[in-house]
Amino acid sequence: MTKKADLSINFCGVKFENPFCLSSSPVGNHAEMCSRAYDAGWGGIVYKTLGLEKSFKVVMPSPRLSVYNYGNKKFVGLQNAEQITDRPIKDNIRDIALLKKNYPNKILISSIMGYTDEDWSELAKMSEDAGADILELNFSCPQMAHKSAGHRVGQDFHAVAAFTEVVKKSSKLPVIAKMTPNITDMIPVAIAAKEGGADAISAINTIKAITDIDINNFTPLPNIHGHSAATGFSGPSVKPVAMRFVSDLYNSKDLNLPISAIGGIETWIDALHFLLLGATNLQVTTGILRYGYRIVEDMIEGLSDFMIERNIKSLNEIIGKATEKIVDPSEFTTRYQVISVIDEEKCIGCGQCYISCQDGANQAIKFDPKTRKASVDEERCVGCLLCKHVCPVWDCISYKEVDTKNAKHAAIF
Amino acid sequence: MKKNINIGKIKQFKSMRESLSLQDAIREANRCLLCYDAPCSKACPAGTDPAKFIRQIKFYNFKGAARTIRNNNILGGVCAHICPVEKLCEQKCSILALENPIDISGLQRFASEYGEKFGIEPLVKHKSNDNKIAVIGAGPAGIGCASVLAKKGYQVTIFEKENAGGGVLRWNIPEFRLPKVALERDFNNLLDIGVTVKYNTNIDSEDAIQSLMKNGYKAIFIATGLSEAFRMDLFYNFSNAIDYISFLRTIKIKNGNEALVNKNVAIIGGGSVAIDSAVSAKACGAKKVYLISLEHLGELPADQEEIDLARKMNIIFKSGSQITGLVSDKNQITQIKGKEIEWMEPEKFIPENARQIKGTEFNLNVDLVVQAIGTKPGKEILKFSTGLKTFGKGILVVNENFETNIPGIFAGGDISNGGSTVVQAVGEGKKAAENIHIFLG
Repeated sequence: MTKKADLSINFCGVKFENPFCLSSSPVGNHAEMCSRAYDAGWGGIVYKTLGLEKSFKVVMPSPRLSVYNYGNKKFVGLQNAEQITDRPIKDNIRDIALLKKNYPNKILISSIMGYTDEDWSELAKMSEDAGADILELNFSCPQMAHKSAGHRVGQDFHAVAAFTEVVKKSSKLPVIAKMTPNITDMIPVAIAAKEGGADAISAINTIKAITDIDINNFTPLPNIHGHSAATGFSGPSVKPVAMRFVSDLYNSKDLNLPISAIGGIETWIDALHFLLLGATNLQVTTGILRYGYRIVEDMIEGLSDFMIERNIKSLNEIIGKATEKIVDPSEFTTRYQVISVIDEEKCIGCGQCYISCQDGANQAIKFDPKTRKASVDEERCVGCLLCKHVCPVWDCISYKEVDTKNAKHAAIF
Repeated sequence: MKKNINIGKIKQFKSMRESLSLQDAIREANRCLLCYDAPCSKACPAGTDPAKFIRQIKFYNFKGAARTIRNNNILGGVCAHICPVEKLCEQKCSILALENPIDISGLQRFASEYGEKFGIEPLVKHKSNDNKIAVIGAGPAGIGCASVLAKKGYQVTIFEKENAGGGVLRWNIPEFRLPKVALERDFNNLLDIGVTVKYNTNIDSEDAIQSLMKNGYKAIFIATGLSEAFRMDLFYNFSNAIDYISFLRTIKIKNGNEALVNKNVAIIGGGSVAIDSAVSAKACGAKKVYLISLEHLGELPADQEEIDLARKMNIIFKSGSQITGLVSDKNQITQIKGKEIEWMEPEKFIPENARQIKGTEFNLNVDLVVQAIGTKPGKEILKFSTGLKTFGKGILVVNENFETNIPGIFAGGDISNGGSTVVQAVGEGKKAAENIHIFLG
């Protein structure tokens, strides 16, 4: 029998069988979908954000998706103009209750978005009564067709603090405040949420972006009857930005709250990256939009195998381990210098390293036109590793440390 | 990924492969490593520069790719269909160390077709100088040479014995390999840059050559190819034994040949043209098509892809076999008799080295015999070559500058290399043009 590692986590005092959750989006739109997600192995679900139709009637724009493609690779990022749920609140509350009845050991997080104090309070109570385990406050949807909701709230830390406080007073449930990345510094907003009583922070919501323009009619996409907007961007492209924000949150001593990470997670390695940056809980939408709920199987099995190989008993042992190594660039040790090493056996002779080094680095690669082999001019190499990154063979180019006291090195004058 | 061969299209006398779609082309170009000093480009005899046009496709500069192809190789669209890329550019592709080579011919065809479809500007005539050059034969070598000279400003006239240009491209390469539209597109480019073609004009005597010289032609480029097929003595007097040149020509012109329907056809030979003939016969509706060759299956000179195609078309391979006799009725062959052979010495694939094996006799009932056993220069060469040095079957002797022993007379393509690829002929034509330019100072 396959050995399985313990992937369980405790997040906001709630035990999850694994840290993998659906984030608030169409992937958690109703009970039937959520049931299939639970069955596939997801540890938790953030149900699609609830609102009150009496305050604002949601109508979805159409079409509402556009993708960012790179070369022949489609869908490296996704732009959406999706709104919060457009289903009647009573249907959603009934679905949440049904899910908790059928899946008592799985976690259900109710995402809510109000427009007034009363809305927030009512949504929190309704969710708690239906059996939700946690509340997530959506302060961050970047494309709400309503002037005083979504990320406009999330950019205003007074509003964040006030609404969080209202929710905390209305419900006993733990509260996650979901942050917008459409802000220079996330920490003050996260701290405002903490002051309002938030138990955890989730980040990032989508990044306001424009993915594409139809060059035939000069209209950005999605083309919503002749108009478009900068709306939420997600998927693998945003992962580096999400990682930066998660590490900022984890590194903030003033904040010191558990983090649920969101942003481009598709594989167990993506998941591990966020855990290492300080996340306890993980949320996914775009990966599911693209590949379906089934991807969680590989996240679970992959992360489990990694833990067994490394003898990691609990995810708590690794949470934040990479963030500890993130410092201000002023603290780098600049006496440490490296140079590239090319494995001639593995070199296939394409010369991309040569071109990139010539035009983008320090002209430190030599290319033999007869043998078609690249080699490093060690006196010129500054160890930027551009060559390594353009090489089509993964393990052809590596690097070694140079003795900057004795050897001549181009970066040391 | 190369598009698969579609046998249904072969039977309709249409290109056997689909063009790459825009999606296919972008995907394929994105696999390219964009090598430094790219080996694919160095491997192209005609200097088409695939590395550049693939880069242009990758960066969505599709018309730029079309320009690169036609500027570097006036028959670039044609070569995209028929070039043996597996032995040239694709064989040198760096990515072979990691995965399948880039579909260079597919991308070349895509770009050429894209240029035409989206209205690439026509080529223009270059400012001409007063030097007149005569090119004999509007086949690949002649076209290649004429294109370079015209761009340099020479007044180039091609003398073509047929009523249309292209040589083997027009008359002998089956439609499923090379659609006429591809030749027309490239040939129109040649006319656009100001090359004059005189059709139905035979240059087949010493006088004709002399008269060109007298009429102010400063140099002559002979590119008459190998226009005459070898025939076997055994079949000499029979009206239903023909050579592959006339056989393929009829099918190419008529897009089929009803006379072949339900007939049994024996093709003699084991090279590419033998396979083309066999596949064409089958496409025309022939009942049984035999491919009789001395070489055994693994020894055939045809490419593997051609052999695979012939097998898919249910061609019956009588490989490793020798014809020993025939049965005839008046001047018609009705039966071919043969025996299997073995080689006395290894790796020496000539009739003298074959030993017939007892007990392997076979008789094939045939309605038509097509001989595809090689070609030689046409008779016209003998007539104007009293002073020109030749060797072997009448191949012209040229030096490294493609110059014959007579100053001012150059030659290239099959007539001087003894028979090679179209892309090789274009390359030789281009190089000869550069040398003619130097010759004329």
